[in-house]
Amino acid sequence: MFFSSRSVKFISAPLSMSCTRASARLNLTYQHLSASSYTTTTTNTIDSIGNINQGTKYTSDFKNYAINKSTGKVLSYFHDIPLDLNIETREANMIVEVPRWSNAKFEISTKLDGNPIVQDIKNGQVRFVKNLFPHHGYIHNYGAFPQTWEDPTTENEKLGLFGDNDPLDVCEIGSAILPTGTIKRVKILGSLALIDDGELDWKVIVVDTQDPLAKEVYDIHHLFTKCPGLLETTRHWFRDYKLADGKPQNEFAFNGEYKNSKQTLEIIQECNQSWKRLIAGKVKVSDNKNIPTIANVTLSTTPQYRGTFDDSLLNNPSRPDAVIPPLVHKNYFISTD
Amino acid sequence: MTYTVRQVGAANTLEYKGYIEKDGKPVSPFHDIPLYANEEKTILNMIVEVPRWTNAKLEISKEIKLNPIIQDTKKGKLRFVRNSFPHHGYIHNYGAFPQTWEDPNQIHPETKAKGDNDPLDVCEIGERVATVGEVKQVKVLGVMALLDEGETDWKIIVIDVNDPFASKLNDIEDVETHLPGLLRATNEWFRIYKIPDGKPENQFAFSGECKNKKYAEEVINECSEAWKQLISGKSVDSKGIDLTNTTLVDTPTYSDVAVKEVPAANPLPAAPIDKSIDKWFFISGGAH
Repeated sequence: MFFSSRSVKFISAPLSMSCTRASARLNLTYQHLSASSYTTTTTNTIDSIGNINQGTKYTSDFKNYAINKSTGKVLSYFHDIPLDLNIETREANMIVEVPRWSNAKFEISTKLDGNPIVQDIKNGQVRFVKNLFPHHGYIHNYGAFPQTWEDPTTENEKLGLFGDNDPLDVCEIGSAILPTGTIKRVKILGSLALIDDGELDWKVIVVDTQDPLAKEVYDIHHLFTKCPGLLETTRHWFRDYKLADGKPQNEFAFNGEYKNSKQTLEIIQECNQSWKRLIAGKVKVSDNKNIPTIANVTLSTTPQYRGTFDDSLLNNPSRPDAVIPPLVHKNYFISTD
Repeated sequence: MTYTVRQVGAANTLEYKGYIEKDGKPVSPFHDIPLYANEEKTILNMIVEVPRWTNAKLEISKEIKLNPIIQDTKKGKLRFVRNSFPHHGYIHNYGAFPQTWEDPNQIHPETKAKGDNDPLDVCEIGERVATVGEVKQVKVLGVMALLDEGETDWKIIVIDVNDPFASKLNDIEDVETHLPGLLRATNEWFRIYKIPDGKPENQFAFSGECKNKKYAEEVINECSEAWKQLISGKSVDSKGIDLTNTTLVDTPTYSDVAVKEVPAANPLPAAPIDKSIDKWFFISGGAH
């Protein structure tokens, strides 16, 4: 498989935007970061990136870091892994957080140095999503696009919603189960605009370019015939997956209709632009005190670039997994429709 | 009384055998474990063959002495049930009732089909994922009459008596009340589960309706009687089933030496399962 050797790839034209001050600033940021002014110190094709576990899986001390395979040094999943979005082939790089059919809610930490994958904590306990019958855990290989950010500081003009302050979420539908920390070249098929606790939380539907299905599907509507039931089930899963925790159903923008591949490329580009604003230090702390760390080791012209992350990040050796509590295997039966 | 598994060979290999032991002594899960776990016959013993959300088609061997649990084969290859979207492997803890037999020499008056020559199949719907060879105490809730390739293949619906929901579930209508969607999913699962292997949809007798507890108890009783005929040597045709047992001293196939012929425990780590088993099969008109 061929990958561009450039670690940061730019879209060929700025996004069309209305003449608000925010968008003018965005345009300026875009120009500022464009091609020649933006350099990286290392070349990270996804084949050169591995990952390493630290601590005990299924406990709060577990961390999974991306590492440069040749140097063994930590890379930030959020910032140092190239998105490498290709508009022609509609491909990009994805990071797997939660393997299909598992329950542990692993996610890229936006706060910790090096942005490792950690298990989310709720009420002091590691978080597992519940099995909403007939589903077993997550129904996709779930993860995120690197170098994207759903901006919580800027209102989405069409929807009047703010982003959820995380990298853009991705659902990979291929036949293989992909382990936590896997980085995959994926084909972008479509997306669903979830509104989760009032925040905009896009779910991008993709397939591993190495999966046999990738040769048969080029856009979202192909899934209706190739994978009957998948898109309806995906919508229901995201609508209902917090019901068993006593929360209400989630809602969707656009009446829950899927955006197609082309529209989804624009959404990814927007989130990539938001990330560029973030990584360039253009998002003021006063906008939102919980904005992510922007420390990185590959983007040498950004304000929080460092030569390397502290070696102490890797001083907690991997230990055998903790036992998953038996109640995680419980099925929840909720009559919804 | 404690049942344990004597594992011989690695899981997911042709060599795997799970012998059931009672208090450390090998017994046949087909013949030696009593069907009823109490005098009132309200609690039954079930042998778990396939834990929920797994794919390996494990079952009590009819031919091997003392009937260990082995993995079924098709054309010499290990058999795995496919994942039919949106399901992952089996959707219940699946297994069998001991001391029962679906007699292939008899045509059932209502399903008009003969038995499938196996112990009676059981679907346990409790919250805990069981283990291979586990002997569970369960209560009966209902039954579905699957017609699997032309044979009657009853699926008894039960729940572990120790499940938190067990006290609320006393008959089939309670299942729909407390576990909405489960019976419909069960019906769809059995209907479509062989389609990815290129086989047609299975059919159900009674238009797919799940019969109640009373009907299920009658089916269990019939299969219990058929097994009694079988083990007493009076069956028309025992179809090559190994009837050796280590506790039923009045039967012609009781053996006090069979225990010593069981291979020593050799619990090798499970072999990896081929990645192709993780594939999801999407079926038009399937369950979603």
